[in-house]
Amino acid sequence: MFVVVALMVLAGVHNLRERRTKLQQGQIVMMKDNAAKGETIASLGSPAPEDDLRGKAAPGFTLVDLAGKKVSLADYKGKPVVIDFWATYCAPCKLEMPWFEEFTAKYKSQGLVVLGVDQDDSAGKEEIALAAKRTGVTYPILLPDKKISGNYKLGDYLPQTFFIDKNGNVVEEVIGGRSKDEIEADVKKITE
Amino acid sequence: MMQGLGIKEQGLGVAMLVALMMGSLVTPAQEIRLDGVSPVKKPHLVLLTDGVDVKAGAEQTVELRFRVDAGYHINSHSPMDDLLIPTTLKFVPGMVKVAGTEYPQGEIIKLTGSGEGLDVYQGDFKVLVKLVAPRGFSTMTGTVRYQACDSASCFPPKTLAVRLAVTAK
Repeated sequence: MFVVVALMVLAGVHNLRERRTKLQQGQIVMMKDNAAKGETIASLGSPAPEDDLRGKAAPGFTLVDLAGKKVSLADYKGKPVVIDFWATYCAPCKLEMPWFEEFTAKYKSQGLVVLGVDQDDSAGKEEIALAAKRTGVTYPILLPDKKISGNYKLGDYLPQTFFIDKNGNVVEEVIGGRSKDEIEADVKKITE
Repeated sequence: MMQGLGIKEQGLGVAMLVALMMGSLVTPAQEIRLDGVSPVKKPHLVLLTDGVDVKAGAEQTVELRFRVDAGYHINSHSPMDDLLIPTTLKFVPGMVKVAGTEYPQGEIIKLTGSGEGLDVYQGDFKVLVKLVAPRGFSTMTGTVRYQACDSASCFPPKTLAVRLAVTAK
């Protein structure tokens, strides 16, 4: 019986050492208590593995723009597309939007398309239109349906931006705001 | 536990137990994955004050202390952009009469790359509430509407339930 207990203690000590070693080697990701989906101690940047659409076909959709016109992802088949999820209350989102507008002009010859999909729960169409107008963007601003946030596996945070190549595949997916240069680097991935 | 078993059975039991123990020595250590996702969305704002003591029948000012999670900010009660969600405390009418609410001044911060400022609360802040309470114990209930961001991303507007125990003597 003493031998059995000793073996149990030895096994537990061995497992504890293994876990500590793996933690030091960064193989175990420690999350903050009650961390939101995909959120880590360091920063938001990439989605959780199960939500990652990179390398996959971008989910299709048909949404309505602020003028009531239907807009489908399929309308832009063969073109590089950026889908930017934003909201009127999101200052980092509104900081980036003028940069996306610049890129639609700069990469016009490559056929770059930018679509802004609003994610407000409580803002009306007028508020959304006002927010978009204040950013100076002219690219389509689309109103969400009940399916798109699930299809794109959106988390509880904005902005979330998807870079889709001419073949309709998600090349890059980013959570959170970034610098203009970083965004342009991803634009180049889908336009070159 | 081993009483009533023959020596052969006891030996088999010990052998099985030892085999299990030896197996745990060679199998990989249990992987800790806490990102298996709590379905509860993080609030980012908590109320630290759960009760106040006041003089019965007289108007007094009490402090409600709140804490914003480190690394995050919420809009102040008067954000610079009218499209941003202001932090707003509201009480349900009840035995304790609320005579007024005073919010603290926010701090001005700027996002990297932006020339515009944001008027926000960060860390701990206090909201002053003027109230008149009847003698005895009362409970005030209400909500705080707020919207949190960090330096690069924002979370949707949320409502924090507020519950305050008031003891008036």
